[in-house]
Amino acid sequence: MALISVALGRLAQAFLLLLAMSLVGFLGIHSVGNPVFNIVNIETATPEDIRNATIALGLDQPIWHQYGVFISNVVRGNFGTSYIYHMPAFALVISKLPATLELACVAMLIAAPVGVGLGLLAGRQSGTVFDRIVLRSSVFALSIPSFWLSMMLILAGAILTGWFPSGGRGATASFLGQEWSVLTRNGFWHLFLPALALAIPNIALIARLSRSGTIEVENLDFTRFCRAKGLSPRRILLRHTLPNISMPIVTIIGLQFGGMLAFAVVVESIFAWPGVGKLLIDSIQLLDRPVVMATLTFISVTFVALNAFVDLFHAVLDPRVRLSS
Amino acid sequence: MTCETATPPLLQVRNLSLRHLSASGPITILQNVSFELGRGEIVGIIGESGAGKSTLGNAVLGLLAPEFQRTSGSIELDGRPIDPMGGDGDAIWGRRISAIFQDHTASLDPLMSVGAQVQETILAIDASVPRQEARARAVALLARVGIPQPERRYGNYPHQFSGGQRQRAVIAIALAGSPDIIIADEPTSALDATVQKQILKLLRTLVDDTGISIVLVTHDMGVVSEITDRVLVMRKGRVVEQDRTAVILDAPANNYTRSLLAAVPRLRLSATAGKGQANGNASISTNVGEGNTMLLVAKSVSKTFVRQGFVWNSSRNKAIFALRDVSIKLPRGTITGIVGESGSGKTTLGRIIAGLDRAPAGSVTIDGTQFDVSKNGRRSGLLSRVQMIFQDPAVSLNPRMSVGETLRESIRFGASLHPKEGPADAATMMDRLGLARSLIDRHPHQLSGGQKQRICIARALLAKPQIIIADEPTSALDVSVQAEIIQLLKDSITTQHMTMVFISHDLAVVQQLCSSLYIFKDGQVEDFGSSDFVFSQSKNPYTRALIDARPSRFTC
Repeated sequence: MALISVALGRLAQAFLLLLAMSLVGFLGIHSVGNPVFNIVNIETATPEDIRNATIALGLDQPIWHQYGVFISNVVRGNFGTSYIYHMPAFALVISKLPATLELACVAMLIAAPVGVGLGLLAGRQSGTVFDRIVLRSSVFALSIPSFWLSMMLILAGAILTGWFPSGGRGATASFLGQEWSVLTRNGFWHLFLPALALAIPNIALIARLSRSGTIEVENLDFTRFCRAKGLSPRRILLRHTLPNISMPIVTIIGLQFGGMLAFAVVVESIFAWPGVGKLLIDSIQLLDRPVVMATLTFISVTFVALNAFVDLFHAVLDPRVRLSS
Repeated sequence: MTCETATPPLLQVRNLSLRHLSASGPITILQNVSFELGRGEIVGIIGESGAGKSTLGNAVLGLLAPEFQRTSGSIELDGRPIDPMGGDGDAIWGRRISAIFQDHTASLDPLMSVGAQVQETILAIDASVPRQEARARAVALLARVGIPQPERRYGNYPHQFSGGQRQRAVIAIALAGSPDIIIADEPTSALDATVQKQILKLLRTLVDDTGISIVLVTHDMGVVSEITDRVLVMRKGRVVEQDRTAVILDAPANNYTRSLLAAVPRLRLSATAGKGQANGNASISTNVGEGNTMLLVAKSVSKTFVRQGFVWNSSRNKAIFALRDVSIKLPRGTITGIVGESGSGKTTLGRIIAGLDRAPAGSVTIDGTQFDVSKNGRRSGLLSRVQMIFQDPAVSLNPRMSVGETLRESIRFGASLHPKEGPADAATMMDRLGLARSLIDRHPHQLSGGQKQRICIARALLAKPQIIIADEPTSALDVSVQAEIIQLLKDSITTQHMTMVFISHDLAVVQQLCSSLYIFKDGQVEDFGSSDFVFSQSKNPYTRALIDARPSRFTC
């Protein structure tokens, strides 16, 4: 009963969020400029051509009318056709999804265990040399710009050593009707450097969060009590400290994962990785409104879904949340 | 006496000195502390804050922070020295020495079921025990410490237990490795009086039945008088006196011990002669003149807490009554006590009268003016009439404001309400409350707990309220300071012709201070009347239970 009302509430929230996002996105693109000039050839087009193109795209209508048409189309599952690629906008986004998804997943699979591990160890022995190294290098990792980090990784991992390729997706294998790099050895090799570039700042973030959480929890009475009752330090760390620090970490992992799906533009560009982030930036530049709106909708839905997962995880982990009713 | 040479005592602390290495140089925490603990014995360590009693407990446990350093002495278990820094921990923790801490909520992992926490302790001590048997033993332990239906409660989480049950579970965990010694650091200070009595009884039974020994660290003479065999009185890192409990209580040799004992508030159960007003509930109004005698009347105040659903409120929320149709009256110029255990709604009512909390139903009338308690204090105007003194002075002063700034803020507020009278004077107020004028430039962290609470009292008085609400103003303070603060409150109220609500869980303090009192239970007024009437004649079973929960030693 409670679960249904929770789910319904969440859906209503998500719906409102999507509506607000679509309005902001729509007006934003509209205020940037007129897409017609990216579509017709400005050198040769006559005013007549431009007017015809404007009418064909429906851009002669007032903006609220255009928005109404857009919404009614979306309700019917149609995000429109890309002005540039002349293919359905949503299908375009979906075709870029595997590349982004596999990149974000591999990056987080590296970042989460390494970050949590470093944070736990540093927090357990705060003030030691190891702790200071983790702290200092995390500041460094968080503050270097990702384009520089990506280029250094290419320099070290590809150009100087030749261990990894410097860009592209490499060989792919087909799965669920989409092409995936992660399924082939060559593809995974191509995936590693960009994933590492995305993972490094997240390792730092997660490590810092785990470290401060560990210090806080280790100072609580129950960790002292665990020691006094005879538990081994290892068991205290893994069975008591880790679950107790995991709430904020899971929240951050959820948010960062969403961020990587949508905004990994810099890394995707440098490694020539054809993902959703790159598609979004290109489409904004070309004022390809159907694609921009389809991408933004996809990103919003992803964030809502990730947040729901995080809440679900909290409920699974914390009996105080789970058993509140 | 004769057998002492044959077998060494279970635990012997010899000439132990410890210091704390802080940034400003080493500070001596313990100086030449010696004591012995025999099998089946409870030794109490009593002292005020800063006496080093908890540090001593931690040293025996081997749980000292690395900033501590031993400068002399030794701790011996069965004649063999052990490391106060925890170097021998693996062989000792849980198996030979275990612990019970003050805060039962913080002692348990909130994410693990209580049964599993007992079970994991059994397995940590002896990994060869099969899991099923460990579980059975855990259930038996929970039953042993008096948790009803242990088999059913095994899978429950700490937040589903009451405070007393949590502390029982902690005791079960401490017993899981069959240790010889339990270090109990303020094991009952966070519990209500009636529960405290039960837990102390449980500890005494465990000692008598199993021959385990307990070192009981406490600030409370009442606890010491209830269950200990011997007592160490500590002050500033030294043992000032140690002897059998009866000797310490009846014939203390040391002046400090005597002053500690004298500072313990005592409950009188016989009506005091002379006042002659112990004639029942009606007596509340007898000591005041005719006419407009009641300064404050709170009528039918109710407040419910809605239990929040997960993320989104579910359609049918359970309402929990914090207050149910509560009415109280405050006669002008008197101190009225509100007594109750945790969760009784006493603090909630105080906050509603002060305008800090809103109540959906009820009314508050002060001096004939009715206030709307469903609005916040500023909008309803309550804030200008009522000031509050909180329990913990350490967190109720703004740490970034100096004493002078805090007091001046209050003076400005008072002056804005009473423009004709002219502003109050901070320096005069400080003199009256026994605060040196030189403290005016200090910040809260440079003050002692007692000084901070005096500042809080000054702050409340300087705003020129008609009513002061004091919510447990002495329970975060040492007994000796507590007595001073109570005297100070009493004097301030009488000289300034104010009216006060004194919220407390301590019957003896309420008796000292209040002319009448209300006893709250589960959000309702359970009993009320003049102090004399309630303590000496009330037949209310809950009132009697509260009185009986007090250590009999300090009741006369």
